[in-house]
Amino acid sequence: MIRRVLALPSGRIAVVVLAVIAVLAVFGPLLAPQDPLATSDNTLAAASGAHWLGTDYLGRDVLSRLLDGSRVSVLGSLEVALTALVVGVVPGILSVYLGRAFEWITLRLADTLVALPFLLFAVAVVALLGNGITQAMLVTGVLVSPLFYRVSRAATLAVARSQYVEAAIVSGASLGRVVRRHVWVKVLPPIAVALAQTVGVGFVIVSSLTFLGIGVQPPAPTWGGLLASDLGYLSHRPWAPLTPALLIVVTVWACNLLADAIRDVSGEAGRALLNNRRARANRLDKADPAPAGGAS
Amino acid sequence: MTTTQAQATPDVRRPVAAAGTRHTLGRVLATLARSIAIFVPVFLVATFVTFALRSLSGLSPARIQLGEDATPEAIARVEAQWGLDRPFLVQYGDWFNGVLHGQLGTSWTNGADISTLIGLGLGVSLSVATFALLIGVVVGFALGTVAALRRTTWIDRAITGFVTAISVMPAFVVGIVLVAVLAVQLKLFPSAGYIPAEQGLGPWLAHITLPAVALSFDVVADVARQLRSSLVAAYRENYVTGAVVRGLGPRRVFFCHVLRNGLGPALATLGLKFPSLVGASVVTEWIFGLQGFGRFANDSAQAGDVPAVQGVLVVSIVLVVVFNLFVNLVLARVTPASQRGV
Repeated sequence: MIRRVLALPSGRIAVVVLAVIAVLAVFGPLLAPQDPLATSDNTLAAASGAHWLGTDYLGRDVLSRLLDGSRVSVLGSLEVALTALVVGVVPGILSVYLGRAFEWITLRLADTLVALPFLLFAVAVVALLGNGITQAMLVTGVLVSPLFYRVSRAATLAVARSQYVEAAIVSGASLGRVVRRHVWVKVLPPIAVALAQTVGVGFVIVSSLTFLGIGVQPPAPTWGGLLASDLGYLSHRPWAPLTPALLIVVTVWACNLLADAIRDVSGEAGRALLNNRRARANRLDKADPAPAGGAS
Repeated sequence: MTTTQAQATPDVRRPVAAAGTRHTLGRVLATLARSIAIFVPVFLVATFVTFALRSLSGLSPARIQLGEDATPEAIARVEAQWGLDRPFLVQYGDWFNGVLHGQLGTSWTNGADISTLIGLGLGVSLSVATFALLIGVVVGFALGTVAALRRTTWIDRAITGFVTAISVMPAFVVGIVLVAVLAVQLKLFPSAGYIPAEQGLGPWLAHITLPAVALSFDVVADVARQLRSSLVAAYRENYVTGAVVRGLGPRRVFFCHVLRNGLGPALATLGLKFPSLVGASVVTEWIFGLQGFGRFANDSAQAGDVPAVQGVLVVSIVLVVVFNLFVNLVLARVTPASQRGV
């Protein structure tokens, strides 16, 4: 599936952008040319050779703060996505198999979580349960998990009603084997789409929370925090919010692009067939052309 | 809400002319009953989670009122005064009873009535949210319809590209850019503050336009995308071909056959978007300096004022539930003929 995503131009762009962001997250604090916390007298300076993106209201180098803050933002959004994945997918798949009572309860819970305005709730929970980005992200992950629940449940339902699964059950395959061998393969592509989308959503949430100053200790830099501090000095440095804003937008865009690319190659959208054919024509030597997720 | 997928009412076919009105009324009532049956458990679970926040947080009014170094006796006295020494379920029952009567308790920090405090901010937030929804619906419908009518042309591609671009812009980023460009640089709009509608419609609109535009991007994108794809799908249906073959004009085909059948998913998205609209108000109100409901939530959450936070959450849940109830009713009204059993 990864190779087929890379065969699409949009998939390649998305992967490259996300890879750059990942490099920033891993090596950002090391790449920072100056100490992101060191203040100086040179406050609110414009971009120059010494400070590529200028300095903020305490004279701290903006580029260094941007690079240093990338780790929190990226880790936070990954935490959101992975929490949502675990909390959503497991009951989603099980709801098809574990009987009506479990199904009803999980459906009502998913309805409830969807109805909660999650940013408001995240703000409330984080502020009340202690200030820490990890708690914030775990809670947010639970709040956005209905997406995974729905997606995995819908995909599992489609598979569970298909004839080859019935055939496997009739011929005596155990539940575990059916889930591992048939359900998992079909459910994976839609979950991958949801995961890519959720990383984007998580990114927006982390940025929003850090923008409000929730979940981080003040001097530590984050992308959202940079935006917040720039907002107070718009008349001095009107273009300052542009870089963190662009970084956030580009990352979210790359996540959505990746989600679209996965959806295209896994045969969910109408364009899938066409893209698949083109992708296959490009790589005739590939051994395994089995399309993934055709049923969904 | 999942209800939006299941509005089909498998009513029996009746003599249409005689029972037309009764039929419609029955369908609306059935939808209402079904929606309420789904929203009541949602409301119960959501309020329970909200109430459990206090026990989970371990915060107490004593800490806020007496400071960190209060004696255990003083803390116990203050907690008893607030009724926090009673069993959890008794407290929940008491609080829930109050919620049903519109009483959200009193604030821990200043002892003010929370219902009043929220009522003050709600006007601001609702003006902004309604305006944002209005922009989202109008612009989203226009873009989606045009893209569907001119599908596969450059107009369609341009609209799709534009919609994709605005869908990745978080409300607070849009808000900051709008403030920076339109308010601070060009001075077209006030950058912060709020003026109630009673003091003049012009200033009121000027103050809520920027936050509403910032919030509406997401709605515009989702409505346009959803409407475009469902309209395109509706155009491929046999009944549309049939209508064209029967010689009906393009206008009539669009309004009677395509739009009515393609409207459902876009409306359902609107119902799903509302919670995030309410949530995003926390950030936009902060940017635009509005003393609304989201700002109140943020301030009281950071102050550890648990009853106030609970109150805000309950109000937001009520807003979401009422809005979705409304969306479901509209959905029942526009249900495709095939599902209405006409």
